[in-house]
Amino acid sequence: MSLLEVKQVTHTYGSLRSFWRPQKEAQVLSDVSLSLEQGTCMGLIGTSGAGKSTLGKVILGLEKPKEGQVLFQGQDLYAMNSKVRKQMRRDLQVVFQDSYSSVNPRLTAEKIIGEPLDNYERLSASEQKRTIAELLEQVGLSAEDMQKFPGQFSGGQLQRISIARAIALKPKMIVLDESVSSLDMVNQTNILKLLDDLKSEYGLSYLFITHDIRAAYAISDVLTVMEKGRIVETYNNKDEVFTSSEPAVKDLVASILPEHPRNRTVSNGKRVVQV
Amino acid sequence: MISSVQMASKSKWALIISAAILIVFFLVSILAPWIAPHDPIQVNLAIKLSSPSWEYPLGTDHLGRCNLSRLLYGARVSLGFASLIFAASLGFGLLVGMIAGFKGGWIDLLLMRFCDGVMAFPNLVLVLGIVGLLGPGLWQVVIALMMVQWVYYARMIRGMVVSMKEQNFIAAARISGSSTGKIIRRHLLPNVLPPIMVMGTLEMGWAIMDISALSFLGLGIQPPTPEWGAMIQEGKAFIRSQPELMIYPGLMILFVVISFNVLGESLSERFGIKRRY
Repeated sequence: MSLLEVKQVTHTYGSLRSFWRPQKEAQVLSDVSLSLEQGTCMGLIGTSGAGKSTLGKVILGLEKPKEGQVLFQGQDLYAMNSKVRKQMRRDLQVVFQDSYSSVNPRLTAEKIIGEPLDNYERLSASEQKRTIAELLEQVGLSAEDMQKFPGQFSGGQLQRISIARAIALKPKMIVLDESVSSLDMVNQTNILKLLDDLKSEYGLSYLFITHDIRAAYAISDVLTVMEKGRIVETYNNKDEVFTSSEPAVKDLVASILPEHPRNRTVSNGKRVVQV
Repeated sequence: MISSVQMASKSKWALIISAAILIVFFLVSILAPWIAPHDPIQVNLAIKLSSPSWEYPLGTDHLGRCNLSRLLYGARVSLGFASLIFAASLGFGLLVGMIAGFKGGWIDLLLMRFCDGVMAFPNLVLVLGIVGLLGPGLWQVVIALMMVQWVYYARMIRGMVVSMKEQNFIAAARISGSSTGKIIRRHLLPNVLPPIMVMGTLEMGWAIMDISALSFLGLGIQPPTPEWGAMIQEGKAFIRSQPELMIYPGLMILFVVISFNVLGESLSERFGIKRRY
């Protein structure tokens, strides 16, 4: 049994129906199916507007799809009562792209990381403090940062706090929605390394949503490419992505910048990578 | 265009002075029974319209009542009922704004169009209409002002909730297993309330003006209860011989309303809050 199974999910966004204008609907996901095994990382790549983040929301249980099912550990996420869903939630966490809006600016790091612990673990005050200190150290921050507010952290540090919040409950799976895209290259590399370490330590599964094929390649075991709300192809051997004949995949591969700008040439308005 | 109130609110002294004035007024209104030299409704026609003396520091009015005592007691009515209007319209506006912002869809549409409808009327006209319907009296005025003011809070809160609902930290809280009630308590309210309180400070000034204006028109407070607007109305007959009967309560209203406006403006300046409905 796969950890996560998405079955024929179709989703539309519509405007509010009213008397004088017909409801307009935009199809953002059409017939999306994928499955993710325990302990693996799936990179979900696609251009902006491909429906990646919507799929992420559907998988997280935040947005009920119009059609289709999301099975997490064999159970339908949208057909369970709230008690079961609450228990399900602790195994399925998230790290968003924009680290600044992912944390409440009025809460300290301790309160932010402590929120999932408050909801699921009944820890004594001192145990809770110790757990939070350990989590902070695990993501490369120090226990002294506990009393700081989000305004006192940098973007990369805030992303580490979001990661600490996500791993606080020792989940089975984390959805990483463009989690490194807003960071500089050095921070990206460090966070990717941190995520990789956490994955092997806890046997985590990731759904790594990104438009950056290099970041996805670096951390993923399996790559899936999306375009216009559809899955173009899934590559169980991630190296196959470079030899794919699908036009959408070719475009993504062609967009990779070479290591040195001199190697970049432009022909017919299209960037060509020289290897 | 920058008004003089906005200019004044740039300095931190504006904040300190206006807050100090308001604290004094609030203290006066609470302590009125102990610091007022006389009973504000004690009629003594033998000393009517007397000039200031040690016994009556600001003189007496046409019924021989102590002006100073009436002014001090008047602060009670103005500040007390303005605070009541503020609290009640904030509470109701918070409820409606939260529901509209959180639920969205048809409920949101219906509630907000109703607010638009109320806002389409000039406030004072609507208040006069409601008071006309309910009959004159202070409680009727309070109810009418509440019915008119809550829509502004509701609209602003709804706007803030809608934009905040999309923020990732709300989604993250939900995924962390927090219930809707906890999300509202822990994440929405602490972020929504501070700017609303600042807006409320400005609205307090308006509420005091409205209470006084309606009392002046004879719709609000009924004699003999002392109230600033009603005092101006009563002093109107003696504008040539004893203009101070109108000037004293007028100055009170002026000071309180200016203080509320300057305080509100400097707080919003300080916290970078824009007024928006």
